[in-house]
Amino acid sequence: MLEITNVHKSFGKNEILKGVDLTIEKGDVVVILGPSGSGKTTLLRCINFLERADQGTANFGDLKVDLKGASKKEVLDVRKKTAFVFQNYNLFNNKTALENVAEGLIIGRKMPKEEAYKISREALDKVGLSDKYDFYPVQLSGGQQQRVGIARAVALNPDIILFDEPTSALDPELVGEVLETMKEIAREGTTMLVVTHEMGFAKDVAKRVIFMDGGVVVEEGTPHDIFVTPKEERTKRFLRRVLPGQYDYEI
Amino acid sequence: MDTSLINVPFLIDTFFVALSGVPVALLVTVVSLLIAVPIGFFLALTRINQIPVINTIAKIYVSFVRGTPIIIQIFVLYSFIPLMLNGIFKKYNIEYSVYDINPLWYAFIIFAFNTAAVLVEVFRSALSTVDKGQLEAAQSVGLTNAQAYRRIIIPQALVTALPNLCTATVNLIKATSLGYAISLYEITLKAKVAANVGYNYVEAYIDIFIVYLILCIVVEQLFKWWEKRLSRYKYANA
Ligand SMILES: Nc1ncnc2c1ncn2[C@@H]1O[C@H](COP(=O)(O)OP(=O)(O)OP(=O)(O)O)[C@@H](O)[C@H]1O
Ligand SMILES: [Mg+2]
Repeated sequence: MLEITNVHKSFGKNEILKGVDLTIEKGDVVVILGPSGSGKTTLLRCINFLERADQGTANFGDLKVDLKGASKKEVLDVRKKTAFVFQNYNLFNNKTALENVAEGLIIGRKMPKEEAYKISREALDKVGLSDKYDFYPVQLSGGQQQRVGIARAVALNPDIILFDEPTSALDPELVGEVLETMKEIAREGTTMLVVTHEMGFAKDVAKRVIFMDGGVVVEEGTPHDIFVTPKEERTKRFLRRVLPGQYDYEI
Repeated sequence: MDTSLINVPFLIDTFFVALSGVPVALLVTVVSLLIAVPIGFFLALTRINQIPVINTIAKIYVSFVRGTPIIIQIFVLYSFIPLMLNGIFKKYNIEYSVYDINPLWYAFIIFAFNTAAVLVEVFRSALSTVDKGQLEAAQSVGLTNAQAYRRIIIPQALVTALPNLCTATVNLIKATSLGYAISLYEITLKAKVAANVGYNYVEAYIDIFIVYLILCIVVEQLFKWWEKRLSRYKYANA
């Protein structure tokens, strides 16, 4: 379970997040939609302390932290409960696929190497990369790199995995394999918070969809609520733009 | 009268005299590097992270060292340090003549001072080639900043830095020849002293030339080998 309350974040004079609240139940997949610049990435980064919020709290059930004033120890604790899948994969270039996955276990979690490598191999098997353990990132396609990124997150067995547009840096023909992998781990009951422009994924996999715009949550509900019966004008306008043909144009 | 242009036996003997200066030259090089690397790295970090005050001091320090000949730096430090020490020794009633200090110590300080400034820029540019996402990914899997630097960022930055690090090391080895100015018995001074006896300067200089050449080629090859080892991940083929 993760409950985020009242997250504010400005860059200079620009207020990017203007009080965002969010609740995710264990095992749920929640998709965040929203136009470019609406603060989706910033929100995920604040949850993982890659960015310091100006205000806000995160409650993981057994751990409650202030997103602004958290201590170093609390930051590390939060990062033990979360994992991040990046738009640009951000695999460690100097490490093999297996080492990439094991790094957080061995160094972050102080797990014995044997055990860490065992878990890492299982995670890579799960994303369909059993034959790529010893490959360096440069030797992998974008889709394969992102699947290593997902394995790296899954291996940590976090409370929640944060995905920031995991497929938007990929060539179109590689998007499918990554979405399949994400569906697979969703089926296994992984709690996921996913920023994506893949409407199909949102419709098929999400338990709930959140529409963000201008640094606030405009509307949220089931995929049916958002895609079929959106209430807010801003939501409708966004959907008309990203899913042309499925919604009536207004002149 | 011997009409041959060069005195071959002397040339050979003096080669070994010059060679016997190699340990001192290498000692100065290694110790200076050991001092300069952490200082250079730390100052590079302050430059990258724009730490106020230290950042500015580092900038001034680098341009000072870059903008002056190393021989002048040697003269300045060689006359300034004893003055300073004399003052300190007097103040605390330490019975020790600063003029008894082994020139090796001056060499360590002078060359570390010079090399650290070079390394600030070497490390700064190398670190800036590592994508910010590498640090963020490391943080996100639970590494501390120190662990992220040690395991992810420095190994990648080092590959970029090695060619420049090699140049800095070779320059340092060559610069130790200026040690004669502070009576440091390294390669150059040893050979020159030998030459003083019979005025066989040409032979001595040829020997000095060859010794530095060999030394620098060996060091360059070592760096090449090291770079190849470290950069395997970049060129690994499937
Ligand atoms: N480090 C930063 N410094 C200054 N401004 C920033 C920084 N990071 C993000 N911003 C600004 O914050 C705003 C929101 O950015 P954010 O990346 O969160 O949007 P997003 O919803 O993820 O958009 P996209 O769909 O394009 O990824 C943008 O206008 C961006 O320019
Ligand atoms: Mg974004």
